[in-house]
Amino acid sequence: MNEIIQIQHLQKHFGNLKVLNDVNFDIHKGEVVTIIGSSGSGKSTMLRCVNLLERMDGGTILYHGKDILASGNDVNQYRSKVGMVFQSFNLFNNLSVIENCMIGQIKVLKRSKEEARAKAEKYLKEVGMYEFADKASTKLSGGQKQRVAIARALCMDPEVLLFDEPTSALDPEMVGGVLDVMKDLANEGLTMVIVTHEMQFAKEVSDRVIFMDQGVIAEQGTPEEIFNNPKQERTKQFLSRYSNR
Amino acid sequence: MSINFPKALEIFQENISLFLYGIGNTLLFALIGTLVGFLIGLLVGGIRAIEINDYDSGLVKVLKHIGRWITSFYIWVFRGTPMMVQAMFVFYLLKPVLQWTPFVAGLVIISINTGAYMAEIIRAGIQSVDKGQNEAAMSLGMTTIQTLVFIVFPQAIKNTFPSIGNQLIVNIKDSSMLNVIGVTELYFQTTSVAGSNYKYIETFLVSALIYLFLTTLASFLLNYLESRFDEERKTKAMDFCS
Repeated sequence: MNEIIQIQHLQKHFGNLKVLNDVNFDIHKGEVVTIIGSSGSGKSTMLRCVNLLERMDGGTILYHGKDILASGNDVNQYRSKVGMVFQSFNLFNNLSVIENCMIGQIKVLKRSKEEARAKAEKYLKEVGMYEFADKASTKLSGGQKQRVAIARALCMDPEVLLFDEPTSALDPEMVGGVLDVMKDLANEGLTMVIVTHEMQFAKEVSDRVIFMDQGVIAEQGTPEEIFNNPKQERTKQFLSRYSNR
Repeated sequence: MSINFPKALEIFQENISLFLYGIGNTLLFALIGTLVGFLIGLLVGGIRAIEINDYDSGLVKVLKHIGRWITSFYIWVFRGTPMMVQAMFVFYLLKPVLQWTPFVAGLVIISINTGAYMAEIIRAGIQSVDKGQNEAAMSLGMTTIQTLVFIVFPQAIKNTFPSIGNQLIVNIKDSSMLNVIGVTELYFQTTSVAGSNYKYIETFLVSALIYLFLTTLASFLLNYLESRFDEERKTKAMDFCS
Protein backbone atom coordinates (compact mmCIF):
# COMPACT_ATOMS: atom_id res chain seq x y z
CA MET A 1 0.00 0.00 0.00
CA ASN A 2 1.14 3.54 -0.58
CA GLU A 3 1.16 4.98 2.92
CA ILE A 4 1.78 8.70 3.18
CA ILE A 5 1.85 8.80 6.95
CA GLN A 6 2.31 5.96 9.42
CA ILE A 7 1.61 6.55 13.08
CA GLN A 8 3.24 4.02 15.35
CA HIS A 9 2.79 3.56 19.09
CA LEU A 10 1.80 7.17 19.60
CA GLN A 11 1.75 8.18 23.27
CA LYS A 12 0.64 11.45 24.77
CA HIS A 13 -0.09 12.46 28.31
CA PHE A 14 -0.96 15.69 30.03
CA GLY A 15 0.58 15.27 33.47
CA ASN A 16 -0.65 11.95 34.78
CA LEU A 17 -3.55 11.80 32.37
CA LYS A 18 -2.91 9.48 29.45
CA VAL A 19 -4.60 11.04 26.46
CA LEU A 20 -3.24 8.72 23.82
CA ASN A 21 -2.09 5.23 24.60
CA ASP A 22 -0.33 3.31 21.87
CA VAL A 23 -2.24 4.59 18.85
CA ASN A 24 -1.31 3.01 15.52
CA PHE A 25 -2.67 3.78 12.10
CA ASP A 26 -1.71 4.58 8.56
CA ILE A 27 -2.97 7.16 6.13
CA HIS A 28 -2.99 5.99 2.53
CA LYS A 29 -2.97 8.10 -0.57
CA GLY A 30 -6.42 9.14 -1.74
CA GLU A 31 -8.10 7.87 1.39
CA VAL A 32 -10.74 9.71 3.42
CA VAL A 33 -10.54 8.73 7.08
CA THR A 34 -12.95 10.05 9.66
CA ILE A 35 -12.26 9.82 13.34
CA ILE A 36 -15.24 9.74 15.67
CA GLY A 37 -15.56 9.40 19.40
CA SER A 38 -16.81 11.28 22.43
CA SER A 39 -15.16 14.43 23.72
CA GLY A 40 -11.95 13.66 25.54
CA SER A 41 -11.32 10.44 23.65
CA GLY A 42 -8.10 11.87 22.19
CA LYS A 43 -9.24 12.45 18.59
CA SER A 44 -8.14 16.05 18.30
CA THR A 45 -4.96 15.48 20.25
CA MET A 46 -4.02 12.71 17.87
CA LEU A 47 -4.60 14.93 14.87
CA ARG A 48 -2.54 17.70 16.45
CA CYS A 49 0.27 15.24 17.11
CA VAL A 50 0.29 14.26 13.45
CA ASN A 51 0.96 17.89 12.54
CA LEU A 52 3.39 18.31 15.46
CA LEU A 53 1.31 21.05 17.03
CA GLU A 54 1.28 18.82 20.07
CA ARG A 55 4.41 17.18 21.34
CA MET A 56 4.39 13.38 21.35
CA ASP A 57 5.53 11.62 24.48
CA GLY A 58 6.29 8.42 22.66
CA GLY A 59 6.05 6.71 19.32
CA THR A 60 7.04 7.66 15.82
CA ILE A 61 5.42 9.28 12.83
CA LEU A 62 6.74 8.18 9.48
CA TYR A 63 6.24 10.35 6.42
CA HIS A 64 6.89 8.33 3.28
CA GLY A 65 8.73 5.90 5.48
CA LYS A 66 10.98 8.48 7.14
CA ASP A 67 10.81 9.48 10.78
CA ILE A 68 9.81 13.13 10.74
CA LEU A 69 11.52 13.85 14.04
CA ALA A 70 14.82 12.29 13.06
CA SER A 71 17.54 14.91 12.93
CA GLY A 72 18.11 16.34 9.49
CA ASN A 73 14.45 16.22 8.54
CA ASP A 74 12.83 19.59 8.09
CA VAL A 75 9.75 19.82 10.28
CA ASN A 76 8.50 22.92 8.48
CA GLN A 77 8.80 21.22 5.13
CA TYR A 78 6.72 18.34 6.47
CA ARG A 79 4.10 20.68 7.91
CA SER A 80 3.71 22.46 4.59
CA LYS A 81 2.76 19.12 3.02
CA VAL A 82 0.29 18.21 5.77
CA GLY A 83 -2.42 20.85 5.81
CA MET A 84 -4.59 21.62 8.79
CA VAL A 85 -8.07 23.07 9.10
CA PHE A 86 -8.91 24.17 12.62
CA GLN A 87 -12.12 24.20 14.58
CA SER A 88 -11.68 27.91 15.25
CA PHE A 89 -10.60 28.70 11.64
CA ASN A 90 -7.51 30.68 12.69
CA LEU A 91 -7.45 32.91 9.64
CA PHE A 92 -4.69 35.51 9.95
CA ASN A 93 -6.49 38.55 11.32
CA ASN A 94 -4.02 41.05 9.90
CA LEU A 95 -4.40 39.77 6.33
CA SER A 96 -7.13 39.91 3.73
CA VAL A 97 -8.81 36.77 2.44
CA ILE A 98 -6.52 36.36 -0.54
CA GLU A 99 -3.41 37.26 1.45
CA ASN A 100 -4.32 34.47 3.84
CA CYS A 101 -4.17 32.11 0.90
CA MET A 102 -0.92 33.57 -0.47
CA ILE A 103 1.39 34.03 2.49
CA GLY A 104 2.28 30.36 2.95
CA GLN A 105 2.89 29.92 -0.76
CA ILE A 106 5.20 32.92 -0.89
CA LYS A 107 7.08 32.48 2.37
CA VAL A 108 7.27 28.69 2.60
CA LEU A 109 6.99 27.38 -0.95
CA LYS A 110 8.83 30.43 -2.35
CA ARG A 111 6.35 30.89 -5.16
CA SER A 112 6.16 34.19 -7.01
CA LYS A 113 3.35 36.57 -6.11
CA GLU A 114 1.70 36.04 -9.47
CA GLU A 115 1.78 32.30 -9.14
CA ALA A 116 0.53 32.46 -5.56
CA ARG A 117 -2.28 34.81 -6.49
CA ALA A 118 -3.40 32.62 -9.37
CA LYS A 119 -3.48 29.57 -7.14
CA ALA A 120 -5.28 31.44 -4.37
CA GLU A 121 -7.91 32.64 -6.83
CA LYS A 122 -8.39 29.15 -8.14
CA TYR A 123 -9.07 27.66 -4.72
CA LEU A 124 -11.13 30.59 -3.50
CA LYS A 125 -13.35 29.97 -6.51
CA GLU A 126 -13.50 26.31 -5.66
CA VAL A 127 -14.77 27.01 -2.14
CA GLY A 128 -17.07 29.76 -3.38
CA MET A 129 -15.25 32.64 -1.70
CA TYR A 130 -13.64 34.35 -4.68
CA GLU A 131 -15.87 37.41 -4.48
CA PHE A 132 -14.54 38.01 -0.94
CA ALA A 133 -10.88 37.87 -2.00
CA ASP A 134 -10.02 41.44 -1.02
CA LYS A 135 -12.14 41.57 2.13
CA ALA A 136 -10.56 41.66 5.58
CA SER A 137 -10.66 38.14 6.95
CA THR A 138 -12.12 39.40 10.24
CA LYS A 139 -15.25 40.57 8.45
CA LEU A 140 -16.43 37.11 7.41
CA SER A 141 -18.96 34.81 9.03
CA GLY A 142 -17.81 31.55 10.58
CA GLY A 143 -18.81 29.43 7.62
CA GLN A 144 -17.08 31.80 5.22
CA LYS A 145 -13.94 31.82 7.36
CA GLN A 146 -13.82 28.06 7.38
CA ARG A 147 -14.15 27.87 3.61
CA VAL A 148 -11.29 30.36 3.25
CA ALA A 149 -9.26 28.30 5.75
CA ILE A 150 -9.80 25.25 3.54
CA ALA A 151 -8.70 27.22 0.48
CA ARG A 152 -5.64 28.45 2.39
CA ALA A 153 -4.66 24.86 3.19
CA LEU A 154 -5.29 23.69 -0.39
CA CYS A 155 -3.05 26.41 -1.80
CA MET A 156 -0.05 24.62 -0.30
CA ASP A 157 -0.81 21.55 -2.47
CA PRO A 158 -0.85 19.34 0.60
CA GLU A 159 -0.53 15.59 0.35
CA VAL A 160 -2.87 15.19 3.30
CA LEU A 161 -5.39 17.58 4.76
CA LEU A 162 -6.26 17.25 8.43
CA PHE A 163 -9.59 18.60 9.66
CA ASP A 164 -10.02 19.18 13.38
CA GLU A 165 -13.79 19.35 13.98
CA PRO A 166 -14.19 21.85 11.15
CA THR A 167 -17.89 22.46 11.71
CA SER A 168 -18.10 22.34 15.50
CA ALA A 169 -17.79 26.10 15.95
CA LEU A 170 -20.28 26.95 13.22
CA ASP A 171 -23.89 28.00 13.42
CA PRO A 172 -26.10 25.11 12.24
CA GLU A 173 -27.07 26.86 9.01
CA MET A 174 -23.40 27.29 8.10
CA VAL A 175 -22.45 23.64 8.50
CA GLY A 176 -23.89 22.45 5.19
CA GLY A 177 -21.79 24.75 3.03
CA VAL A 178 -18.53 23.66 4.63
CA LEU A 179 -19.43 19.98 4.46
CA ASP A 180 -20.31 20.35 0.78
CA VAL A 181 -16.86 21.76 0.07
CA MET A 182 -15.30 18.85 1.91
CA LYS A 183 -17.42 16.34 0.00
CA ASP A 184 -16.23 17.81 -3.27
CA LEU A 185 -12.62 17.49 -2.12
CA ALA A 186 -13.20 13.90 -1.12
CA ASN A 187 -14.65 13.15 -4.56
CA GLU A 188 -11.64 14.77 -6.19
CA GLY A 189 -9.42 12.23 -4.48
CA LEU A 190 -7.77 14.43 -1.84
CA THR A 191 -6.34 12.50 1.08
CA MET A 192 -8.20 13.66 4.17
CA VAL A 193 -8.30 12.86 7.87
CA ILE A 194 -11.35 14.33 9.52
CA VAL A 195 -12.21 14.52 13.20
CA THR A 196 -15.93 15.12 13.29
CA HIS A 197 -19.19 14.79 15.15
CA GLU A 198 -21.19 14.83 11.91
CA MET A 199 -22.11 11.15 11.70
CA GLN A 200 -24.18 11.37 8.53
CA PHE A 201 -21.32 13.13 6.80
CA ALA A 202 -18.82 10.56 8.07
CA LYS A 203 -21.05 7.79 6.71
CA GLU A 204 -21.21 9.41 3.30
CA VAL A 205 -17.62 10.42 2.60
CA SER A 206 -15.42 8.01 4.50
CA ASP A 207 -13.43 5.15 3.12
CA ARG A 208 -12.57 4.23 6.67
CA VAL A 209 -13.99 5.21 10.04
CA ILE A 210 -11.94 5.13 13.23
CA PHE A 211 -13.74 5.09 16.55
CA MET A 212 -11.60 6.34 19.42
CA ASP A 213 -12.33 5.84 23.06
CA GLN A 214 -10.19 6.72 26.08
CA GLY A 215 -7.03 7.31 24.13
CA VAL A 216 -7.07 4.18 22.01
CA ILE A 217 -8.50 3.15 18.66
CA ALA A 218 -11.38 1.01 19.83
CA GLU A 219 -12.60 -0.04 16.43
CA GLN A 220 -12.07 0.79 12.79
CA GLY A 221 -13.54 -0.28 9.50
CA THR A 222 -15.66 0.80 6.57
CA PRO A 223 -18.60 3.10 7.31
CA GLU A 224 -20.84 0.09 6.71
CA GLU A 225 -19.00 -1.96 9.35
CA ILE A 226 -18.83 0.79 11.97
CA PHE A 227 -22.25 2.33 11.61
CA ASN A 228 -24.32 -0.75 10.77
CA ASN A 229 -22.45 -3.60 12.40
CA PRO A 230 -20.28 -2.26 15.20
CA LYS A 231 -18.57 -5.11 16.99
CA GLN A 232 -17.61 -3.42 20.21
CA GLU A 233 -20.04 -2.62 22.95
CA ARG A 234 -18.62 0.88 23.46
CA THR A 235 -18.97 1.68 19.76
CA LYS A 236 -22.62 0.67 19.91
CA GLN A 237 -23.18 2.79 22.99
CA PHE A 238 -21.52 5.81 21.42
CA LEU A 239 -23.49 5.52 18.17
CA SER A 240 -26.79 4.98 19.96
CA ARG A 241 -26.38 8.38 21.57
CA TYR A 242 -26.36 9.89 18.10
CA SER A 243 -29.18 7.85 16.53
CA ASN A 244 -31.46 8.67 19.45
CA ARG A 245 -31.39 12.34 18.62
CA MET B 1 3.53 84.19 45.36
CA SER B 2 2.83 85.96 42.15
CA ILE B 3 3.32 85.26 38.49
CA ASN B 4 4.19 88.09 36.18
CA PHE B 5 2.52 86.90 32.99
CA PRO B 6 3.63 89.78 30.75
CA LYS B 7 7.19 89.14 31.94
CA ALA B 8 6.86 85.49 30.91
CA LEU B 9 5.81 86.49 27.42
CA GLU B 10 8.71 88.91 27.28
CA ILE B 11 11.19 86.22 28.34
CA PHE B 12 9.83 83.92 25.66
CA GLN B 13 10.16 86.57 22.96
CA GLU B 14 13.62 87.64 24.01
CA ASN B 15 14.99 84.10 24.13
CA ILE B 16 13.00 82.60 21.33
CA SER B 17 16.00 81.25 19.48
CA LEU B 18 17.28 79.51 22.60
CA PHE B 19 13.88 77.99 23.26
CA LEU B 20 13.42 76.93 19.65
CA TYR B 21 16.80 75.23 19.69
CA GLY B 22 15.79 73.38 22.84
CA ILE B 23 12.42 72.42 21.36
CA GLY B 24 14.13 71.08 18.26
CA ASN B 25 16.47 68.91 20.28
CA THR B 26 13.75 67.74 22.65
CA LEU B 27 11.62 66.63 19.71
CA LEU B 28 14.59 65.00 18.06
CA PHE B 29 15.47 63.03 21.18
CA ALA B 30 11.85 62.07 21.77
CA LEU B 31 11.24 60.93 18.19
CA ILE B 32 14.49 59.09 17.64
CA GLY B 33 14.38 57.60 21.13
CA THR B 34 10.87 56.32 20.52
CA LEU B 35 11.59 55.02 17.04
CA VAL B 36 14.86 53.26 17.85
CA GLY B 37 13.43 52.14 21.19
CA PHE B 38 10.54 50.62 19.27
CA LEU B 39 12.90 48.66 17.04
CA ILE B 40 14.87 47.48 20.06
CA GLY B 41 11.57 46.58 21.68
CA LEU B 42 10.53 44.48 18.69
CA LEU B 43 13.80 42.60 18.78
CA VAL B 44 13.92 42.12 22.54
CA GLY B 45 10.19 41.54 22.95
CA GLY B 46 10.34 39.07 20.07
CA ILE B 47 13.19 37.16 21.66
CA ARG B 48 11.33 37.06 24.94
CA ALA B 49 8.19 35.77 23.26
CA ILE B 50 9.89 32.91 21.43
CA GLU B 51 8.79 29.71 23.02
CA ILE B 52 11.26 26.97 23.77
CA ASN B 53 9.91 23.91 21.98
CA ASP B 54 10.62 20.32 22.74
CA TYR B 55 11.36 19.80 19.07
CA ASP B 56 14.25 22.26 19.14
CA SER B 57 17.72 20.82 18.92
CA GLY B 58 19.98 21.18 21.94
CA LEU B 59 21.88 24.11 20.49
CA VAL B 60 18.72 26.05 19.63
CA LYS B 61 17.42 25.47 23.15
CA VAL B 62 20.64 26.80 24.67
CA LEU B 63 20.58 29.86 22.39
CA LYS B 64 16.97 30.59 23.29
CA HIS B 65 17.78 30.35 26.99
CA ILE B 66 20.73 32.67 26.60
CA GLY B 67 18.55 35.11 24.68
CA ARG B 68 16.04 35.05 27.47
CA TRP B 69 18.63 35.71 30.18
CA ILE B 70 20.25 38.58 28.34
CA THR B 71 16.96 40.30 27.55
CA SER B 72 15.68 39.81 31.11
CA PHE B 73 18.85 41.37 32.47
CA TYR B 74 18.59 44.30 30.07
CA ILE B 75 15.01 45.05 31.01
CA TRP B 76 15.71 44.58 34.71
CA VAL B 77 18.56 47.07 34.69
CA PHE B 78 17.11 49.76 32.42
CA ARG B 79 13.64 49.79 33.89
CA GLY B 80 14.97 49.58 37.41
CA THR B 81 17.28 52.59 37.38
CA PRO B 82 16.57 56.27 36.62
CA MET B 83 17.47 57.44 33.14
CA MET B 84 19.40 60.32 34.71
CA VAL B 85 21.71 57.84 36.42
CA GLN B 86 21.98 55.74 33.28
CA ALA B 87 22.93 58.84 31.31
CA MET B 88 25.74 59.84 33.67
CA PHE B 89 27.06 56.31 34.06
CA VAL B 90 27.01 55.30 30.40
CA PHE B 91 28.22 58.65 29.09
CA TYR B 92 31.30 58.80 31.30
CA LEU B 93 31.94 55.06 31.18
CA LEU B 94 32.22 54.99 27.40
CA LYS B 95 33.60 58.47 26.84
CA PRO B 96 37.27 57.43 26.88
CA VAL B 97 36.56 54.65 24.41
CA LEU B 98 34.07 56.26 22.03
CA GLN B 99 35.02 59.93 22.43
CA TRP B 100 31.35 60.72 22.01
CA THR B 101 29.50 63.98 22.41
CA PRO B 102 26.64 64.42 24.89
CA PHE B 103 24.33 64.66 21.86
CA VAL B 104 25.20 61.20 20.51
CA ALA B 105 25.36 59.67 23.99
CA GLY B 106 21.93 61.15 24.76
CA LEU B 107 20.40 59.60 21.65
CA VAL B 108 21.85 56.22 22.51
CA ILE B 109 20.74 56.33 26.14
CA ILE B 110 17.17 57.44 25.50
CA SER B 111 16.84 54.74 22.82
CA ILE B 112 18.14 51.97 25.06
CA ASN B 113 16.00 53.17 27.94
CA THR B 114 12.86 53.31 25.80
CA GLY B 115 13.71 49.91 24.33
CA ALA B 116 13.41 48.30 27.74
CA TYR B 117 9.88 49.65 28.19
CA MET B 118 8.92 48.89 24.60
CA ALA B 119 10.11 45.30 24.96
CA GLU B 120 7.66 44.69 27.75
CA ILE B 121 4.83 46.43 25.86
CA ILE B 122 5.50 44.35 22.77
CA ARG B 123 5.82 41.14 24.71
CA ALA B 124 2.40 41.81 26.23
CA GLY B 125 1.12 42.57 22.72
CA ILE B 126 2.52 39.30 21.41
CA GLN B 127 0.87 37.43 24.24
CA SER B 128 -2.45 39.10 23.41
CA VAL B 129 -2.42 37.53 19.95
CA ASP B 130 -4.53 34.38 19.79
CA LYS B 131 -2.47 31.19 19.93
CA GLY B 132 -4.44 29.88 16.98
CA GLN B 133 -2.69 32.44 14.77
CA ASN B 134 0.63 30.84 15.63
CA GLU B 135 -0.69 27.35 15.08
CA ALA B 136 -2.13 28.24 11.69
CA ALA B 137 1.21 29.71 10.61
CA MET B 138 3.06 26.66 11.90
CA SER B 139 0.64 24.36 10.09
CA LEU B 140 1.57 26.08 6.83
CA GLY B 141 5.23 25.37 7.56
CA MET B 142 6.22 28.96 8.38
CA THR B 143 9.28 29.34 10.60
CA THR B 144 9.13 30.96 14.02
CA ILE B 145 10.70 34.15 12.67
CA GLN B 146 8.34 34.32 9.67
CA THR B 147 5.38 33.79 11.98
CA LEU B 148 6.54 36.60 14.25
CA VAL B 149 7.30 39.07 11.47
CA PHE B 150 4.32 38.52 9.18
CA ILE B 151 1.56 37.38 11.52
CA VAL B 152 2.24 38.12 15.17
CA PHE B 153 4.07 41.47 15.13
CA PRO B 154 1.50 43.31 12.98
CA GLN B 155 -1.27 42.21 15.32
CA ALA B 156 0.76 42.81 18.48
CA ILE B 157 1.69 46.32 17.34
CA LYS B 158 -1.88 47.14 16.51
CA ASN B 159 -3.13 45.83 19.86
CA THR B 160 -0.60 47.86 21.82
CA PHE B 161 -0.41 50.96 19.66
CA PRO B 162 -1.75 53.28 22.39
CA SER B 163 0.97 52.11 24.80
CA ILE B 164 3.64 52.40 22.13
CA GLY B 165 2.50 55.92 21.31
CA ASN B 166 2.45 56.82 24.96
CA GLN B 167 6.22 56.33 25.02
CA LEU B 168 6.57 59.30 22.68
CA ILE B 169 4.80 61.51 25.18
CA VAL B 170 6.88 60.12 28.03
CA ASN B 171 10.04 60.76 26.00
CA ILE B 172 9.14 64.38 25.24
CA LYS B 173 9.17 64.94 28.98
CA ASP B 174 11.88 62.51 30.06
CA SER B 175 14.41 63.72 27.53
CA SER B 176 14.81 66.59 30.02
CA MET B 177 16.83 64.22 32.19
CA LEU B 178 19.54 64.17 29.56
CA ASN B 179 20.48 67.70 30.66
CA VAL B 180 22.72 66.06 33.26
CA ILE B 181 25.22 65.13 30.59
CA GLY B 182 24.90 68.51 28.90
CA VAL B 183 22.45 67.80 26.11
CA THR B 184 21.01 71.14 25.05
CA GLU B 185 17.36 70.15 25.09
CA LEU B 186 14.46 72.31 26.29
CA TYR B 187 15.07 71.93 30.04
CA PHE B 188 18.76 72.68 29.64
CA GLN B 189 17.96 75.80 27.64
CA THR B 190 15.38 76.86 30.22
CA THR B 191 17.93 76.67 33.03
CA SER B 192 20.36 78.72 30.93
CA VAL B 193 17.74 81.42 30.38
CA ALA B 194 16.65 81.40 34.00
CA GLY B 195 20.27 81.49 35.11
CA SER B 196 20.83 84.74 33.29
CA ASN B 197 17.61 86.58 34.18
CA TYR B 198 16.91 85.11 37.65
CA LYS B 199 13.16 85.02 36.80
CA TYR B 200 12.79 81.36 37.64
CA ILE B 201 9.00 81.32 37.96
CA GLU B 202 8.27 83.04 34.66
CA THR B 203 10.97 81.22 32.73
CA PHE B 204 9.84 77.81 33.90
CA LEU B 205 6.21 78.77 33.23
CA VAL B 206 7.24 79.30 29.63
CA SER B 207 9.01 75.96 29.67
CA ALA B 208 6.01 74.16 31.17
CA LEU B 209 3.67 75.65 28.58
CA ILE B 210 5.98 74.58 25.77
CA TYR B 211 6.15 71.01 27.13
CA LEU B 212 2.38 70.97 27.49
CA PHE B 213 1.99 72.19 23.93
CA LEU B 214 4.36 69.50 22.61
CA THR B 215 2.73 66.64 24.50
CA THR B 216 -0.74 67.78 23.48
CA LEU B 217 0.35 67.96 19.87
CA ALA B 218 1.84 64.48 20.13
CA SER B 219 -1.29 62.98 21.61
CA PHE B 220 -3.43 64.50 18.85
CA LEU B 221 -1.06 63.05 16.30
CA LEU B 222 -1.18 59.64 17.94
CA ASN B 223 -4.98 59.63 18.08
CA TYR B 224 -5.05 60.48 14.41
CA LEU B 225 -2.61 57.70 13.56
CA GLU B 226 -4.60 55.24 15.62
CA SER B 227 -7.79 55.97 13.74
CA ARG B 228 -5.92 55.78 10.45
CA PHE B 229 -4.52 52.41 11.51
CA ASP B 230 -8.03 51.05 11.87
CA GLU B 231 -9.17 52.52 8.57
CA GLU B 232 -6.24 51.15 6.65
CA ARG B 233 -6.74 47.68 8.00
CA LYS B 234 -10.27 47.61 6.67
CA THR B 235 -9.23 48.30 3.13
CA LYS B 236 -5.75 46.92 2.81
CA ALA B 237 -4.01 44.70 5.28
CA MET B 238 -0.42 44.44 4.13
CA ASP B 239 1.21 45.24 0.89
CA PHE B 240 3.47 42.25 0.51
CA CYS B 241 1.03 40.59 -1.87
CA SER B 242 0.08 43.52 -4.02
